[in-house]
Amino acid sequence: MKKRRLAAGIMAATMVVGMLAGCGGGSSSGGGDSTTAAPVETTTAAPVQAEVKEATGEDVTIKVALWDYSNTAYYKTMIDAFQAKYPNVKVEVVEFTADEYDNVVVTQLSSKQDFDVVFTKGTPALSALIKQGHIYALDDLIASDSSFDKSNYSGLVDQLSLDGHTYALPFRYDNNLIFYNKDLFDAAGVPYPEDGMTMKEYHELAAKLTSGDGNEKVYGAHIHTWPSNVYQYPNRTEKFNFADPTTYENLIPYYNEILAMQDEGLVQDYGVLKSSNIHYSGVFYNQQAAMLQIGTWYINMLCENVKDFNWGACALPNDEGMANENCIGGVTPVSIGAYAKHPAEAWQFMTFVCGEEGAKTLAECGIVPGYSSDAVGAIFDALPQTYPNAPEGLSKYLSCEKNVMEQPMNAKNKEIDTIMQEQHSAIMTKSVSAEEGVQQLIDRVTELLAE
Amino acid sequence: MGKEKGAGTSAKKNSLRARKTLVAYSFIMPNLIGFFVFTFVPIVFSLFLSFCEWDSGNPIKFVGLKNFIYMFTKDNSFRISLLNTVYYTVVTVPVTLALSLFLAILMNKPLKGRVFFRSVLFFPYVASLVAIAVVWMALFNPDRGPVNNVLMAIGISNPPRWAASTTWAMPTIIGLTVWKGMGYYMIVYLAALQGVSRDLYEAASLDGANKWQQFINITWPCVTPTTFYILVLLMVSTFKSYDIMYITTQGGPGEATKVLAYHIYNQAFVSAKFGYASAVAMILLAIIVLVTLVQFRFEKKFTSYL
Repeated sequence: MKKRRLAAGIMAATMVVGMLAGCGGGSSSGGGDSTTAAPVETTTAAPVQAEVKEATGEDVTIKVALWDYSNTAYYKTMIDAFQAKYPNVKVEVVEFTADEYDNVVVTQLSSKQDFDVVFTKGTPALSALIKQGHIYALDDLIASDSSFDKSNYSGLVDQLSLDGHTYALPFRYDNNLIFYNKDLFDAAGVPYPEDGMTMKEYHELAAKLTSGDGNEKVYGAHIHTWPSNVYQYPNRTEKFNFADPTTYENLIPYYNEILAMQDEGLVQDYGVLKSSNIHYSGVFYNQQAAMLQIGTWYINMLCENVKDFNWGACALPNDEGMANENCIGGVTPVSIGAYAKHPAEAWQFMTFVCGEEGAKTLAECGIVPGYSSDAVGAIFDALPQTYPNAPEGLSKYLSCEKNVMEQPMNAKNKEIDTIMQEQHSAIMTKSVSAEEGVQQLIDRVTELLAE
Repeated sequence: MGKEKGAGTSAKKNSLRARKTLVAYSFIMPNLIGFFVFTFVPIVFSLFLSFCEWDSGNPIKFVGLKNFIYMFTKDNSFRISLLNTVYYTVVTVPVTLALSLFLAILMNKPLKGRVFFRSVLFFPYVASLVAIAVVWMALFNPDRGPVNNVLMAIGISNPPRWAASTTWAMPTIIGLTVWKGMGYYMIVYLAALQGVSRDLYEAASLDGANKWQQFINITWPCVTPTTFYILVLLMVSTFKSYDIMYITTQGGPGEATKVLAYHIYNQAFVSAKFGYASAVAMILLAIIVLVTLVQFRFEKKFTSYL
């Protein structure tokens, strides 16, 4: 009796390591042949390039790993258009849940799933996959394809490279802006915000627009709970670099300004937003906030959801006197999986969805593509014709002189991201001061990068 | 003749026993195969991985004790999450035990509407964790939650900021865990209480024992086997707990509610350090096995089977 219960106890206890079962599966083979390895430390080891060969024109099926496929219309439109152009290539979409997409793709690729095309949610996930040898380098393909012109991507292709090799094309690129409710500004008799305002001006503007109490309260601004909602400001002016802890001290004045706004009740409290899981979109739709700092993906959501007030947009405030020269945001990269069976057709697919045709499809849905062209800008400028609440001239916020990447390619991005989120929550809940919190951030990231 | 017959029966008996054994094995086989494939093999693989470095793509590299040395000398997050796990367990387990026993005793009395109250108390256990967590976080919302509204109404001008404070985040989560779990353990205790003979209480009250003396001398000793069972279950579940933090605070603010299992998840699936994560998992396993062994050692002293 005793023995059996002991065994049961141990069995229950061991369940805890069962959580690692997910990665255990098809791995005992030794986890990839050594040639696919592209270690980051030794830049001398050349990464494996995707094989260059002419697409044969034979019937093939390519596997594309994606999230949100079933609830996003433009993917289907794009894939249909692609298959109309290349009738011999059949696209098989493998869809995973959005929340855990990055982590699921790692486990899938570690069991050598033959995804031809792999979408990733951003540069941290992409960098990690490259480091693990799960992604092909594209240099040879780019060099051999004369129809491919990387200058259409405003420098984004070069920014998607690691150790001098390119691994992805930018499917989407989002700038971050201040969206504002014109009606609330008019009612308060305050002029609309403009590109190039300082943090102090932004703060004062928020104070002028805050009104009411309790459930009727209108906040001057809304700051969502991501770390990027703070570091974007110095990031855009290149005073902050995600992968360089020596630049982190420039976060302190921005943190202090935002904490002051929070103390004065001009923005909703971080702790409240976090514990009530409040999404930024509803706050702005319901006119509970006059300004909202968020990415350009919101344009599409605004067009669809806002009918009862007019809205506008301007560049992020900053203390370096920058107007609209730089954009700041994240990329949705598309790559070729290292166990792809049809890299040539995968390249056809990538250059299609990340090219002129794909970009137009995206722009028509109000989504900003990584590919920039006058045609794309024109589609955005024409938005007020279909959606009368939208502002004129949005195109100038979609292609800037310089597209700064929120999280530049770095093999340790994902780990930095975890630390960043922890420190951000400590600072924003005032568990530590901005100075202390940033110092801890510097110490932790410096230690991580030294490993 | 007699001898032959005897030999025949014993052969028959043997084949009968073999058949019975086979039938028995066939019943436990499906479960055993499942356990072997989905639990035992991964554990052995994980044990092996804990001495290696592996990022899921590049070849597995054997590094000896490096992971363990790093864990105990350099990894601050490991130290913090270990302490948080101990804090969480040491508070959650006794509070859940005491509350569920208390409620079980109450519900064991001929109370009006007893069935209704039992259902109400049991409800958090059957409801989905996600739903329960949302309700709890709404109750404890630092600015608009009913809990803080009540606290402010009775004159506490600066109530705790609950999940938005490094000091109060863990107690908030502990409260949620206790609330969710106590209904189930109450039912377990209730079953035990109903097994306690009425005669004992009658005899005791004839001898002049008051309620407290009856509890100490009759109820408590009679339910010790149940207490032990609940203790083991609770300990194991709190040590490996992770889901509650994932849903409510994501380990924050800062690292205030980061527990070992959360650290393991982060290291494995976010940072892709499967070797190191396995090493931490092994330490967690060792802790749980150790605690369980100690509990079984004290079982004889502590438990009385009547």
